[in-house]
Amino acid sequence: MTLVRVGKATLVLFILLVLQLELFASIRFFGVMPEIMLGAAVASGWHAGPREGAVLGFVSGFLVDLYLATPLGLSALSYALISFMIGIVSELIAEDVEKIVRSVISLVGIVLGLVTFVAFGELIAEPNLYNKNFGKILVVGGLYTGLFIRPLHFLMEWVFHQNNYQNNQFAMSRAQRK
Amino acid sequence: MAVPQRSSGSRFTLAILLLTSVTLISLDARGYEPLANLRKASTAILQPFRNIASTVFDPIGDAWESLSEGDALEKENALLREQLSELLEYRVTTEGAVEELAALRTQLDLEDLGGQETIVAEITARSVSNFDPYIIEIGKGTQSGIRDGMAVVSVGGLIGRIEDPGLRSSRVRLITDPNVNIGVLAVGTNEVGILSGGGVNQPLKVSDGIPVSAEVEIGSIMVTSGSERSPYPGGFSVGTILEIIVDEINLEKELIVAPTGQLENLEFVTVILYQPPTSETGGNK
Repeated sequence: MTLVRVGKATLVLFILLVLQLELFASIRFFGVMPEIMLGAAVASGWHAGPREGAVLGFVSGFLVDLYLATPLGLSALSYALISFMIGIVSELIAEDVEKIVRSVISLVGIVLGLVTFVAFGELIAEPNLYNKNFGKILVVGGLYTGLFIRPLHFLMEWVFHQNNYQNNQFAMSRAQRK
Repeated sequence: MAVPQRSSGSRFTLAILLLTSVTLISLDARGYEPLANLRKASTAILQPFRNIASTVFDPIGDAWESLSEGDALEKENALLREQLSELLEYRVTTEGAVEELAALRTQLDLEDLGGQETIVAEITARSVSNFDPYIIEIGKGTQSGIRDGMAVVSVGGLIGRIEDPGLRSSRVRLITDPNVNIGVLAVGTNEVGILSGGGVNQPLKVSDGIPVSAEVEIGSIMVTSGSERSPYPGGFSVGTILEIIVDEINLEKELIVAPTGQLENLEFVTVILYQPPTSETGGNK
């Protein structure tokens, strides 16, 4: 990962974290808030591939962990894993159907991310994670975060673009990335 | 479809990240001090930016709340009116209970509780997670004398306990959390029971410790027991008994308790700067 990408990723994650903590925590649908940082991890997996995606997913989860009462590293573990999986899936998808498939896979990724988070939490006997609202959180949280998936993909595309020409951003295709 | 060959590098990176995560979880579970300090430092670093963001986004959040919870507020209002009329009916009983509480305090030598040092703190944030709604954040921390485990009260009584205090902010674990246990005493009796949370918008429960023979009544006030191993100071109102269910098998009474402390629409809370004499918490969370 180049220094420019690191800088861009830091900026994007920082802004998203503040938004998650201060804006989205109070804008809830049926008591459920969107998982913006998980959405960012999913989008980064798609745009950066399994390796860099997993790193960014880990950082994204770690930042969230710092502000949660759950053990430090639980979100980092789940987000890195989901980001890696999305990175692998993105390599298998033909580019012509990318946009449609991307949205669907991103939604599935968010739901899987939430399931992974709760599953690992239950493994370490963390209380309150699996509760009667779990189904609601999966459905509402997945769809609500899905509303923000396009801007998140846009941001991650910006982070992982290859700037080949001066003053002209050139999107490196996933085929080139491989 | 041609499946691209992935380098072993990405798998190696993932393995390292997973290993790091598991190590972090393990260290955090053991209460590794540097990680706790990292959390505190990150909270302190981000706080100014959160404050700015809060100034900008709070009106949006408030507007959203009034839009989305308008019906809920109306229902809550109706429920409160209903509860008020019920409470007025209980007035005589309650007045008696207050006298009993004063007598009990004297009896337990807890008269000096009123002189307990307190600090008022503003609520800066609600839970920032979908999975743990039993947390609120307050804008005061260790710098103001707040320590882990201190009791937090609002109008009416105990509402929670300090958890992981930072320098200028702290988390409060609410008593509605089903994993929180508090030793309580029904005013007028000497029976100590274990009260636990029932979840969001659900009453509290005392399901352990009150024998069938105990003379508890609907409307009686439950107060913190202040027993030797309890992290909470004694004599603080926790709830009012709503329902008594007799458990014939265990020969105990299960009490359904409505919290007396205001838990909704809070702006400020009071932290009791009291630390139990011993570090033993006796299983109370």
